[in-house]
Amino acid sequence: MNVISRDASNYSYVNARVRSRWALLLDADEYDTLTRMGPSEIARSLGESEYGPEIDALGSRHSGVDLVEHALNRNLARHFDDLLEWSQGTLYDLISRYLRKFDAWNVKTALRGVYSETDSGVVDDDFIRAGEFDEALLTTLEECGSVQAIVDALAETVFGDPLADALAEYEETGALVPLENAVDRTFYSTLLRGLNATTESGTREFVKFLQAEVDFRNIRNAFRLARSGASIDPSEYYIAGGRLFEATELASLVENRDELVARLRESRYSEQLGPALERLESADTLIGFEHALDTALLGYADHLSHVFPLSVCPVLAYVLAKEREVDNIRAIARGREVGLSGEEIEQELVML
Amino acid sequence: MYETLVAAINMLGLIAQQSAEAGSTVAFPPAAGAALGVGIAALGAGIAEGGIGAAAVGAIAEDSDFFGIGLLFTVLPETLVILAIVVIFIV
Repeated sequence: MNVISRDASNYSYVNARVRSRWALLLDADEYDTLTRMGPSEIARSLGESEYGPEIDALGSRHSGVDLVEHALNRNLARHFDDLLEWSQGTLYDLISRYLRKFDAWNVKTALRGVYSETDSGVVDDDFIRAGEFDEALLTTLEECGSVQAIVDALAETVFGDPLADALAEYEETGALVPLENAVDRTFYSTLLRGLNATTESGTREFVKFLQAEVDFRNIRNAFRLARSGASIDPSEYYIAGGRLFEATELASLVENRDELVARLRESRYSEQLGPALERLESADTLIGFEHALDTALLGYADHLSHVFPLSVCPVLAYVLAKEREVDNIRAIARGREVGLSGEEIEQELVML
Repeated sequence: MYETLVAAINMLGLIAQQSAEAGSTVAFPPAAGAALGVGIAALGAGIAEGGIGAAAVGAIAEDSDFFGIGLLFTVLPETLVILAIVVIFIV
C-alpha cells in the first residue's frame, strides 16, 4: 500500500473524489423506475440527476432517445476528463493509458463514418471526448473525406504506423476489419508497454486489473467461438497479457466446452463467475451469459478496488461501472422506444 | 522518504552510543530525548495528515457537506503529538 507516494501520484485525493462520484451512480431501484418511463420521460428524469448539464445543453437540438444518447456520451466524457484533470504523476499516466480506449473508439467511429458516408455532424456527436486526442485532431478526423486521409491525419499518434500497415489490406479487400483490428491491437499493446510491474508500486495493481479485463475478454471470445462452432483459428482472437489462458490452450478449450467451464470453475475468478456459469448451464443463452460475465467483471473490479484501496484500481473500477451505467440507460431508452416490456429490458441490464 | 528517516534515527542512536562510551554520567540529556520524541511524533502526524487531508479536500470538492467530518479526520493524527507532549512533563 502506498502511504506516501514516491512519485507525485495523488491517490488519496483522486480516490476520495472517485468514491464520491461512485455514490452518484444509479442503483437497482432507480433503474426500475426508469424502465417504466417513456423515452422523453427518461430524458426529463435524467435532467434532474447528475446528467442535468448535458441534458440542458443538448435539449434544444435533440429530443427523445437521441437526446438521451448524446447526453450519455457527453456525460461520460466529462467525468473521465475530470479523472485526468485530478490525477498527477504515475496515476495520470496509468489513467490516460486506460482512457486511450476512447481514442481507439473515436478512430473507429471516424473510420466507420467515412466508410458509411455519414454526415460529419453525426460523427461528431458520436465521438467520446475522453481520450488523449484534442479537439483539433477530432475536428480534422471528422472532416476527412477518405480512409486514406484519416490514416494520414493519425500519422503522429500511436495508431499511425499500424494503421498505415493495415491500409494496404483494406484497399485490397474493401473491408474495415483489418483497420479496426489494427486499432484494437495497438490499444492493447500500448496499454502495458514500458511498465515495470514488479518494481514500481502503483503499476502492479494496474497490471493486475488489466490482466483481469483481458482474461474476461478471452473468456467471452472463447465462448463465442465455442458457440459458433466455426473453424476460425481461436488464436486470431486471443489477446495476450492475461493470466488465465495461453493462446495454444485456448484453441483446445474452445473445442471442448465442458472442459472450458470446468477450467473456469477452478480459476481465480470462480467466486465472481459462479452465477454466470450457472446461468449458462440453466438457460444456455449466450447473451445472458455475457451479461453475467460483465457483472462478474464489475464484481472482480470492485473486489480489487477494496483489496488495493490506495491504487489506480478504484479509478478503473469506476470507469467500468460508469460505462456500464451509460450502457444500461441507453438500453432502457432504446428498449422503451421499441416497446419492450420492463422484464425484457431488465434482462439486458448489467448491474452488481 | 522512509529511508532517510530511518537513516537519521540510526545516526542519532549512534551518537547516543558514542557519547555513552565516552564515559560521561548522562549520555544523552533527557530533555533532548523528549524534544526528539515530540519532533518525530509531529513528523509522523504530518505524514499521516498529508494523505488524509488530500482525501478530505477531494471529498469536500465533490460535496461540501463533508467539511466537518473531513476536518475532524484530518486533525485526528494530531492526537499523537498531544500524547508525545505528555513526555515533556514526565522528564
